[in-house]
Amino acid sequence: MIQKTVQCPNCHKILSCSGSPGDVVELICTGCGTEGKVTFEKLISTENAAIEVTNLTKVYGDLVAVNNISFTVQIGKIFAFLGPNGAGKTTTVEMIESIRQSTSGDIKILSKDIKTSFNEVKEKIGILPQEFRSFEKLTVKETLVYFSKLYKKTADVNSIIDAMDLNDERKKYYKDLSGGLKQRVGVAISLVNDPDIVFLDEPTTGLDPKARRKVWEVIAGLRNRGKTVFLTTHYMEEAEYLADHIAIIHKGKIIAEGTLDELINKHGEGSILRIKNCSSKDAVDVLKENGFDAHAEGNGDVAIKIEFKERVLDVLSILKHECIDYENIDIRRSNLEEIFLKITGAKLSEAEQ
Amino acid sequence: MNFRFILHDLHANIKTWLRSPGTVFWTVLFPVLLILIFGAIFSGGDEAEFNIVVQDLDNTTLSEEFVANLNNTSLLNVIELETGKNVTEFMHDEDEPVALVIPKGFNDSMVEYIESQYNPTIEFDDTNLPFNLTLYFDPSDQTTTSILRSILASVIYQLNMNITGGETIIGINEESSVGEDFDYIDFFLPGMIGFTIMTSCVYGSIERNTKYRKDGILRKLLTMPITRAEWILSKMLFMLFLSFVSTLVILIVGILKWEVSIKINIFFFLLIIATSFLFSGIGMIIGRFVKDQETADMAGGAITFPMMFLAGTFIPLEIMPGYMQSIAQVLPLYYVNEGMRNAMIYADIDKSLFFSAFVLVFATVFFMVGILLTKWKED
Repeated sequence: MIQKTVQCPNCHKILSCSGSPGDVVELICTGCGTEGKVTFEKLISTENAAIEVTNLTKVYGDLVAVNNISFTVQIGKIFAFLGPNGAGKTTTVEMIESIRQSTSGDIKILSKDIKTSFNEVKEKIGILPQEFRSFEKLTVKETLVYFSKLYKKTADVNSIIDAMDLNDERKKYYKDLSGGLKQRVGVAISLVNDPDIVFLDEPTTGLDPKARRKVWEVIAGLRNRGKTVFLTTHYMEEAEYLADHIAIIHKGKIIAEGTLDELINKHGEGSILRIKNCSSKDAVDVLKENGFDAHAEGNGDVAIKIEFKERVLDVLSILKHECIDYENIDIRRSNLEEIFLKITGAKLSEAEQ
Repeated sequence: MNFRFILHDLHANIKTWLRSPGTVFWTVLFPVLLILIFGAIFSGGDEAEFNIVVQDLDNTTLSEEFVANLNNTSLLNVIELETGKNVTEFMHDEDEPVALVIPKGFNDSMVEYIESQYNPTIEFDDTNLPFNLTLYFDPSDQTTTSILRSILASVIYQLNMNITGGETIIGINEESSVGEDFDYIDFFLPGMIGFTIMTSCVYGSIERNTKYRKDGILRKLLTMPITRAEWILSKMLFMLFLSFVSTLVILIVGILKWEVSIKINIFFFLLIIATSFLFSGIGMIIGRFVKDQETADMAGGAITFPMMFLAGTFIPLEIMPGYMQSIAQVLPLYYVNEGMRNAMIYADIDKSLFFSAFVLVFATVFFMVGILLTKWKED
């Protein structure tokens, strides 16, 4: 548990509270009764850092493509770098991959400074560049063998083919594969050296929903294999589905960062539990008396703001205890699109720069 | 330098090349088709290709030998015109575009000049120089006229050189570069080898620099242990492989179909290797500055097409207008073509060495610049 001291924004009284990293604790001012929340930031240890980026900047003439960003990617986690097209995602990841030169800032991969030790790092990372296309006239297996033989340390190609569910395609030419299969081969290529960190730059762009879902499964499987994944994407559902940690980049700056729950709690409106066709007009009052932020929606429905999933059960037990009947319940959670909209005033899908 | 990486990459390149019928066609079958077509057109028979009307007003031994030497060049068919006939009327009636008139006194003037060279007591009036032969031509038939004028200029130049050098006056058969021992196919085959190496290396290099960049393969390789030097060396070995394959095919067709006599020597191999490096370097330079495949192909065409026609691949440089010959002197393919001819056909060691040295210099410059400009990193 961590002790934290805060000042009431209303009466300026100093208050103290305790919580665990990642918690959001409700606090009522003992001086004026003002309600508020205290967030306990998740601790990020550089000892477990796969990637450490500090004050990274990239300038093209008058354009600041990446503006003094810092973040850490933990070993064994999927880190999603989310933002609209042109936000600076690929510029950032390509600076980390040493494909682009940074204007300023430091990048460490597995504690090694890439400016001086990138050759050592090469054997430990696997990369799927944006819009990557492999050699058209090599089969899937030949493609993987080709790339694997350009490393000193290699993984078993057949086991990668199995893991990526590419057995039926192993003898097909790369050019004859569908877009989704090509991307899966791209992910497979990034694994041929059994890397510790895998960089996937927009791996599902242009794919249909079914193919995208299949690639997601493959990426999720990487975490189970102990890989650290750095994923850039402009699909918020991709980040929501896959990521352990999300950084949202907009106009070259990181505007929000954390786990999905942290982002929703900090920037979103939490989850809304909707009681459909509530039988009692007193339901709102009863819920309010029990500390819930509830309001009637006019059509017999009651909406309750839920910050922790455990509170859903509390609501249901209150309704049962008070003998309040209802047709059904519906829970809707804030998503990254809403968070992006709230922070930037623009929709993620429409904010291409 | 990791040679395992290089050989592995080379193996993959050859494998993908063999699986691409289009590229195999352009590298192997296209030059074969060109050889067969051009060979059939220009090596169809023993007859001379161009008629020239000659009226000998001097009618001496010297003038007759001059006419005979014109006739001995395999490119000319001399039609002798009697002295009493009107030249221009004959040209018009017989539809002959070019006629040469040897003036009366040609022999005497020559003898007088030669004697004056050996005996200083004999005075010779320099104002009589040069001994003009009158050339009539039809301006409406520029193509034949210009070819015949160029051939004549070449023959007369040779004659003048011999006279002023004190050697045999008429020495065309012995000294002419358009000797009767060689057919058009002997001229064309080395040019075809140079042209094929040029196109496969220029386009091959451009493709690898633009397509691989567009497809993210260069970005991928940048993050892998293989170095840029290893990758470029591997690609060069692949270009060399293509060059030797296409050269071999051209030689086989030339020998089997046209019975071309090939002289294999060190200059022949040196030129193939240097030419591959030279045009790969040019391709690398183009590939650095153009971003997409379509523009790259156009840029490649803009470089190779003019060279193909101006560097003496299909048509002897001697029959081109003077200004075009000057242009050819600055084109790398000209030195490749001439080097190849002198190495593998004429077996002229001195000229082989001369042209090979030029090709080596070109190759070194362009390849080094190509390497310096080829970069994997993005800005």
